Amino acid sequence: MIDWKLILEAIGILIYATFMGFIFMGIERKAMARIQRRVGPPLWQPLIDTLKLLGKKESVSHGFIYDFGPIFALGATIAALLFIPIANFQLFSSNADLIVVAYLLEVPMLGIMLGAMSSGNPFSGLGVQRGLLTMVAMQLPYGLAVIALVQHWGTFMLSEIVSEQQMHGWSITVPALLLAFIVFDIVFQAMLGLEPFDIVPAPAEISMGPMVEYGGKHAAILFTQHAIQLFAETTFFTILFLGGASNLLTLFLKQLAVLFISIFIASIYPRFTIDQAAKFFWKWPTIIGIIAVLLTM
Amino acid sequence: MPVRVVGEEKVKVKKSFVKPWMGIKYLFKKPVTIKIPYEKIEPAPKYRGFHTLDWKKCIGCNFCGQICPARAIEMTWIEVDGQMEKRPHPKVDYGRCTFCQFCVDVCPTGALGFSENYYLTTGGLEEDLQLYDWVPVHPDKLKELNEKFNDYRFPVERIKFNKETKEVTYYLRDGSKIEFKILGYGLRPPKLPAKPKSAAKPAEKKETKPAEKKEEPKTEEKKE
Repeated sequence: MIDWKLILEAIGILIYATFMGFIFMGIERKAMARIQRRVGPPLWQPLIDTLKLLGKKESVSHGFIYDFGPIFALGATIAALLFIPIANFQLFSSNADLIVVAYLLEVPMLGIMLGAMSSGNPFSGLGVQRGLLTMVAMQLPYGLAVIALVQHWGTFMLSEIVSEQQMHGWSITVPALLLAFIVFDIVFQAMLGLEPFDIVPAPAEISMGPMVEYGGKHAAILFTQHAIQLFAETTFFTILFLGGASNLLTLFLKQLAVLFISIFIASIYPRFTIDQAAKFFWKWPTIIGIIAVLLTM
Repeated sequence: MPVRVVGEEKVKVKKSFVKPWMGIKYLFKKPVTIKIPYEKIEPAPKYRGFHTLDWKKCIGCNFCGQICPARAIEMTWIEVDGQMEKRPHPKVDYGRCTFCQFCVDVCPTGALGFSENYYLTTGGLEEDLQLYDWVPVHPDKLKELNEKFNDYRFPVERIKFNKETKEVTYYLRDGSKIEFKILGYGLRPPKLPAKPKSAAKPAEKKETKPAEKKEEPKTEEKKE
């Protein structure tokens, strides 16, 4: 007994998410170029890059775990995507899918780390070390923001959060949740790996960080994973704070708004060092997060 | 005169959280890039590019070869329309040339000049690489080509060098050809017996030069 409709829907959502994710990556590059007074690449450039990487003849492998890491990351992202209500489709749902999605969006980082560590490159090791410290540091404000949300709306279900927001107005109109929004936006920057917290790949500082040895098809999988993750994370953000969306166009506009905030932040602030980032996460976002939680009690 | 020190409080900038947001104003301004395949840039009027050589004015004194810091210039004896030129002409190797244009400054007769053309790209084949080694063409010819194409590329499209007969053909960009023969290299006329290859040692050459130059007409007569 196979549910063909479910499978088709899952594939449809996946294709849409991948395509839009690549477009979002293109928008990111284009907008950053314009802020730096350049023309920038065309919007579909990340797609071309990925196709080129897929067409490469050889890719080096350092054993099973090295190959497994990117696949694991991609799988985790897809799993997270299937739990998120995209417009009116939600394929899987549980009583606490907020927690499920929040942590499934963290798992890809672990997958990349897993693969990167098995390459045995010192740059990868350094990148992984930084990445894990960033993850540890950002969990605290992230958790506080989620707690504030859950306490205010009184539910762990994403679809219920959306319907509550459609009845009572968006989350950011509530003062306490506005603070949570600010915290979440700072954490979001680190989740996307964008500029003030792009300590993990750190281009030009530690080569490419964990991804330094990945090339060819591995890199193509990582690109695809990044695209889907970009889509999933912006959708997650939209659902939590911007009142979800009833159709794909509204969703797209809201995702774009979220994306542009992070692009602006990314293009004007320089990179933190890892110790500064950890200190920062445990200072301002945590303080604001605690205030938000106290206000929602 | 004592050094004037500006106080540190004058140069120290206060850190700001909000000011970086000023950078976003460029998002809505026109980018300052030049779209190269569609838009053109004019090089400066005396941009130091490829050489030009008036073959009639060149007296083969090898001043250019002596001053060249990269030793990219080699004198070449050439034969046009079955008649050998009286003097050797410089052959420039763009694999070595630094485009310092000292050779143009030093040229006593003004035969060697330079143009604003600077584009030269080839593949890696041996035939393509022939392009980097040429006896420069006449300035008027180059001007004509520049007026026609106006893209500051190397005026020759392809150089064919026949190793047995030593015949060289320049296929210019407008389809015309320049044909000549390379008889030998160095300062001494090639028809003299033995040692046709005597490049280098320019200091010695300079002393013997007057003698050589007197001999040159003779060799031509002999040949004819």
